Amino acid sequence: MKIIASYNIKGGVGKTSTAVNLAYIAAQNNMRTLVWDLDPQGASSYYFRIKPKVKGGSKKLIAGAHELDDLIKATDFENLDLLPADFSFRNLDLVLDARKNPTQRLKKLLAPLSKEYDVIILDCPPNISLLSEAIFAASDILLSPIIPTTLSLRTLEQLKKYLKDNQLKHLQLIPFFSMADKRKKMHQEIMQNLSKEHPEILKSVIPYASDIERMGWERKPLGAYSHKGRSIEAYQSLWQEIFQPSNN
Amino acid sequence: MTAIRHHFELAENLSVTKFLKKLGKHLDFEIASQQYSIKTFYDSFDWRLYNADMMCEFRQSKASRELALIDKNTGKQLAVEPLQGDMPRFSGQFPQGLFKQGIASALEMRALLPLSQLPYQHYRINILNKDRKTVLRLQIEEHKLLTTHISLHELKGYAKAAEKVSTLLQNKLNIKATKPSRILHKSLKRQGRKTQDYSSKLAIQLSPDMPADQACKLIYCQLLTAIQVNEASTIADIDSEFLHDFRVAIRRTRAGLSQIKNTLPARDLAKHTRFFAWLGQITGTTRDLDVYLLSYQDYQAALPKSLQADLAPLYAFLKQKQVLAQQALVAKLEQPEYRKQLKAWEHFLQQDCPKKATASHAKLSIKTLADQRIWKVYTRLLHEANAIQASSPAEALHDLRKTCKKLRYLMEFFQSLYPAQEFKAGLKALKGFQAVLGDFQDYEIQEISLKQFSEEMRASDTHTNTFLAMGVLVQHLDALRCAARNDFAAQFKNFKEPHKRKIFQHLFAPKAVEKNA
Ligand SMILES: Nc1ncnc2c1ncn2[C@@H]1O[C@H](COP(=O)(O)OP(=O)(O)OP(=O)(O)O)[C@@H](O)[C@H]1O
Ligand SMILES: [Mg+2]
Repeated sequence: MKIIASYNIKGGVGKTSTAVNLAYIAAQNNMRTLVWDLDPQGASSYYFRIKPKVKGGSKKLIAGAHELDDLIKATDFENLDLLPADFSFRNLDLVLDARKNPTQRLKKLLAPLSKEYDVIILDCPPNISLLSEAIFAASDILLSPIIPTTLSLRTLEQLKKYLKDNQLKHLQLIPFFSMADKRKKMHQEIMQNLSKEHPEILKSVIPYASDIERMGWERKPLGAYSHKGRSIEAYQSLWQEIFQPSNN
Repeated sequence: MTAIRHHFELAENLSVTKFLKKLGKHLDFEIASQQYSIKTFYDSFDWRLYNADMMCEFRQSKASRELALIDKNTGKQLAVEPLQGDMPRFSGQFPQGLFKQGIASALEMRALLPLSQLPYQHYRINILNKDRKTVLRLQIEEHKLLTTHISLHELKGYAKAAEKVSTLLQNKLNIKATKPSRILHKSLKRQGRKTQDYSSKLAIQLSPDMPADQACKLIYCQLLTAIQVNEASTIADIDSEFLHDFRVAIRRTRAGLSQIKNTLPARDLAKHTRFFAWLGQITGTTRDLDVYLLSYQDYQAALPKSLQADLAPLYAFLKQKQVLAQQALVAKLEQPEYRKQLKAWEHFLQQDCPKKATASHAKLSIKTLADQRIWKVYTRLLHEANAIQASSPAEALHDLRKTCKKLRYLMEFFQSLYPAQEFKAGLKALKGFQAVLGDFQDYEIQEISLKQFSEEMRASDTHTNTFLAMGVLVQHLDALRCAARNDFAAQFKNFKEPHKRKIFQHLFAPKAVEKNA
């Protein structure tokens, strides 16, 4: 089982869109896939039309009062399940902080699911917090969407430094460009420069596109309503680069 | 509260369209797909999947080809996987996945064979909540030849929706709940078949006061049927179990002929006895090779990793030999002589037993004869086993194994004459004891054969590492043989424990013996 965190310190960069669309593609490729919506705003729950509600809220969840398995909901798509968000997740940091070993908590809760799923994708809220530390400890891959702006260089470097300082060696940081606008010259230039400085940035680029934006209206993963085009191809290639790196 | 059910059958006069119209009055749904499909049920000849509470369906439509493994009792889909290419025959040939995992241990070496095929209209329906999220899936199979079948497929985290719809169908729409296996049963029935219509286990129903000659014919008739139903697929070499069962029926027949004497006219039996001896002999080589091929994986696993690949030429050698042996066997089974002799045996069995018989035991009640024969062979077995010392030659154990087999066959023939539970306990004890003798002899034969194979393989330019691997294998088998030999005394002690002896006494001994014991 691989655990992938869709994460960035910054908000609004495409974390949720990435989590939802990659999960959809993984499931279509016969991988048993789970999305865990860790963001109290419940955006990925919304895309799957699943009520952002968890029995007992964040307290019971973190205490392990219910098996995670009992809280999971099937989405409308084969092989694809969701662990919904709950509004109480806004105080996940506090709840974690009250525990003995807060950063190891998510890892522990996720362990029993390793037999049921091939991939678990965590849709994370922005910021660096106790929750994100717990996410880093639980994940194998930190998949980080970056919008090609000057500021994003800084956040990427911040994140790299953080991982280094905290000796999170098990965690593979995979950055990629998200919401890239072809018409913007600045986007093109930044992407070129950044890729040179940071060769670990994936080649696949998710474009800024209206069909991706439409997910909020459709309340479905992109692949469920759009079968061809630049956007879907971009997510396909992103998936391939992450899951079958040798083929690239 | 109404109990939740997942499978339903529409009344003859209720079309799918009408049903959906009714359903739509109570809840929101969408038709996700509707396609003409053909489903084929598969199982092994001896119903191994069904016996393990599973059903296997292969569904084909223009858009998809999928395999489904279904829990026979709950209807739950244990695995649904796309299938590219033709339907494989053996579990090892399926792609890695839940389907393969699900069937492998139940199916073992048996082939999956098509049972029946049904054309139908396949509807996939999603039941939606107010957010238009799917909370339950319905599959509707509208059959041309059978009534429509509806199944509810629960989604994780949405148990309530399934309960609600189940109650709605039962209470409001008055739809009849049914078993998940209904379609399989009904389609077999149309072909005049039913599930579990073959088992390699004997189930001969005798009544205690039946005359012995008549009972014997009944036994032989059932064994003849087993020979006949396994014959065609033995010739076609569908899987190795057909020949195995074919041979078991032959061996049982031979055991009957030698162990239940003086019931049928000896004069008539002589030539049939010769025929079955011949049949046993001509089928032996192929079966032996089948066994080696089936053991190959174990052979490989017994070797150190570094030698495992070196064993491959042995497999190729065995396979080639098996193909030739099979061809030779087929040639013999296609001879008119074989047909003629088998027909003659059938004819003999079909004739009524004469009122006045020449054979001395012909009119004994079968229960009396069964008691006598089983008790006699049982006491002989104890006697032979008691005589075996640590220094006894291997032959003594081989002879004892034969006696065990005779006892085993006799007990199986006459099973229906005895109280089931006690009989089962007796048979179980015997099987346990038989196992150690079987192992001892089988390992010895395998050792000898492997040495012989390596001689034969020397003729071709086989790599020396292969011989090395075979040498290690022989050593391994020898260790197993010695272990079996050393285990004999303990197993016999176990078999002759007083409470087990009591079982045999109580079941089979003459009353006088039982009292004295
Ligand atoms: N490639 C894209 N092209 C156009 N719009 C996009 C693209 N990716 C995401 N969006 C839109 O941008 C907004 C933010 O995207 P998303 O929710 O995926 O980001 P996020 O990082 O998860 O945000 P948050 O930090 O709030 O959780 C959404 O309205 C989404 O529809
Ligand atoms: Mg988000």
